[in-house]
Amino acid sequence: MPAVTPSEPEMASTGPDAPIDAAVVDGETEGSPVQLDAVGRARYLAEVMEEIDAEVRRRRASGDLPPGLERELDEMFLEFSPLGLQGKARLRETLALVDGSAYVDISVPVASQKKAGVYIKRLIRKSMGWYIGFIVHQLVKFAWSVSRMLHVVVDHVEVLESTIDALRPPELPAGSATVGDPGTAWWAEHARASLSATRGRVLHGECGNGSLVGLLVSAGVDAYGVDPAELMIEPAVDQGLDIRSESMLDHLEVVADEALDGIVLSGSLQWLHANERDRLIRMATGRLAIGGTLVLHSSTPEAWDRGVTALVADLAPGRPLHAETWTHLLSGLGVSTRAVHVGGDDRRLQRLDPSVPGADTVNAAVEVLNELLLGPGEFLLIAVRDR
Amino acid sequence: MTTVHQFVPALLPRDATGDHTIALRDTFRAVGWTSDIYVEAAHDELMSEATYFERYPDRACPGDILLYQASTGSPVAEFLMERTEVLVLDYHNITPPTFYEGWEDHTAEKVALARTQVAALAARAALGIADSAFNAAELTAFGCPATEVVPILADIDAWGSPDMVDQDEQVRLGRSRGNATTLLFVGRLSPNKCQHQLVQTLWLYRRWYDPMARLRLVGPAMTRSYARSVLSFAAELGLADAVDHGEQLTPAQLAAWYADSDVFVCLSEHEGFCIPLLEAMHFDLPIVAYAAGAVPETLGGAGVLLDSKRPSEVAAAIHRVVTDATLVRRLGQAGRHRLGSFTSGHVRARFVAVLGALDAAQMAVR
Repeated sequence: MPAVTPSEPEMASTGPDAPIDAAVVDGETEGSPVQLDAVGRARYLAEVMEEIDAEVRRRRASGDLPPGLERELDEMFLEFSPLGLQGKARLRETLALVDGSAYVDISVPVASQKKAGVYIKRLIRKSMGWYIGFIVHQLVKFAWSVSRMLHVVVDHVEVLESTIDALRPPELPAGSATVGDPGTAWWAEHARASLSATRGRVLHGECGNGSLVGLLVSAGVDAYGVDPAELMIEPAVDQGLDIRSESMLDHLEVVADEALDGIVLSGSLQWLHANERDRLIRMATGRLAIGGTLVLHSSTPEAWDRGVTALVADLAPGRPLHAETWTHLLSGLGVSTRAVHVGGDDRRLQRLDPSVPGADTVNAAVEVLNELLLGPGEFLLIAVRDR
Repeated sequence: MTTVHQFVPALLPRDATGDHTIALRDTFRAVGWTSDIYVEAAHDELMSEATYFERYPDRACPGDILLYQASTGSPVAEFLMERTEVLVLDYHNITPPTFYEGWEDHTAEKVALARTQVAALAARAALGIADSAFNAAELTAFGCPATEVVPILADIDAWGSPDMVDQDEQVRLGRSRGNATTLLFVGRLSPNKCQHQLVQTLWLYRRWYDPMARLRLVGPAMTRSYARSVLSFAAELGLADAVDHGEQLTPAQLAAWYADSDVFVCLSEHEGFCIPLLEAMHFDLPIVAYAAGAVPETLGGAGVLLDSKRPSEVAAAIHRVVTDATLVRRLGQAGRHRLGSFTSGHVRARFVAVLGALDAAQMAVR
């Protein structure tokens, strides 16, 4: 977690940027020539922040911070918030409140500690009844119209919800997705080469065992990773790598815009539901600094069934996109593709020697088969954020 | 002669805007300017200091500069929209209505109206004075043609020395806390201040570091429904006895709460300036704060500034602060230095310079 560098308003001559003589700090460094100016102070605080961050990582890795605990705390607080903030689960209850308050009672209480008070209040109520009654009648009519309209809206919302529920794909059993070793994959070297010049932080989403993060760190890149599979990341955390146990979407929620110089997306990105995929890619590109590099690894659509387990192939909510489609989607987000590498499991059939009788016919069929079914298994797209 | 009259919705004693207004009036008079305060309402204690704004037209003179202290919605704003004198806005920020929606809809409507008024005045003002760059940016977004950043007149000298605290209160607080790590936040209980996240942090801090740790919340329960929810939430987490809420504290009692705490923690989502940060610096209390609104610029590097307010991050930062004497010393040093930028002498001089320059420019035009 990088420390935020504050921008200080222009102040009087004794402003905060003036150097501070460390020797005057309660004798802490008495006689020391070290001075803490604004830059030194910011550097010192940045180091402190790094250590605080390391402490959190250590706590997470040790199981002191179960995944989802902080979200549970948020949800717990929502239980104490007004109905309106608790989401659609309480829609009917909120509607009942509206119904209850739509009635306006014109029988104003006349109780009073003084006898005369009761008499006067009753007199006012009686004499004003025709007037108040006329106004209230219209108010109640309006309130009931609004209430009826809300009932219609809620009915429609519930029908929509049940329709969406029916369309929702079944959940994949945990562990059904196979995870490779990204640090030794064919595309690791391309990823390293494209990110080796970055100066800021580089995030690998769904980093698996963290081997690519390790490769990048050893190349001098300030890399870290996230992956929701706690058991898988444990060895990497033990090695001192900055790997956090959380989903990419959860993590990106708390990262500031343009805070990262590089992002590697691999793993389940390719078979996320279209909505989630769009959300992830929008967040990821937003967190990328201008000029930052996006590295995206995916199966090719042709090889989709080959590269995953049967459960994932059948039940995954989405399917991989072609590199050209990614290029199109990313360009709309200000990210332009610089290179596409293909690799992985390549089952393309060999063409026959043209001298063999009938080779033309066979090779034409081979071309069609290779293009439709047997092309390269994976691709790696490298793109840069332009705006 | 320069004339700067101030308009303020309500003039209240022991109120940041009220104190600021009176101190400014005294400053202007001290440099020989004519300056009065016009209000919609004033507390009995301060009635002699102010005049009802409706009386201003009878006293208006050519060349008057009208300085509006914008902190809430008021008919005063409507009145100023109709005036032709040079208008200056002194903007202290108005919390956006989204923070109150669902919690207190009438407050949401009230602040929405107030922000609408400020936007209308900003477009018509000759100058906007904001107590932070964050507020200045809001003024610019409202359409203000020119802005200057001048901090609020926080009368730091009047806070007294750290020794001048209510000793009885400090002893009482010391007894109730024992050796527990004690977190402090000062500010009204309101959704934008996010006290519920302080409760979450306390819960995790007790689990990780100090099972006896305590949280002290000082400030009026302005948004009742939110305050109730925060305290009920604390009770649900088993923290009912670990969270203290102080309302209606005297300045000496408040000083005791600062003096007897270990760390000031601010997780606000929206702050236009945040005077309690300066108070914490004044009492040498280390600060852990979330970087939102004007907090980073007010803090100016004199605290641990977080870009996340996940309870885990905040708890770890608090632990670091309360266990690292070197860090505390350095933050204390930076805090004292930072505080030097907000002394009333500097701020008064800036106000006189900014408004003097505006007056000179207006004279040249005339």
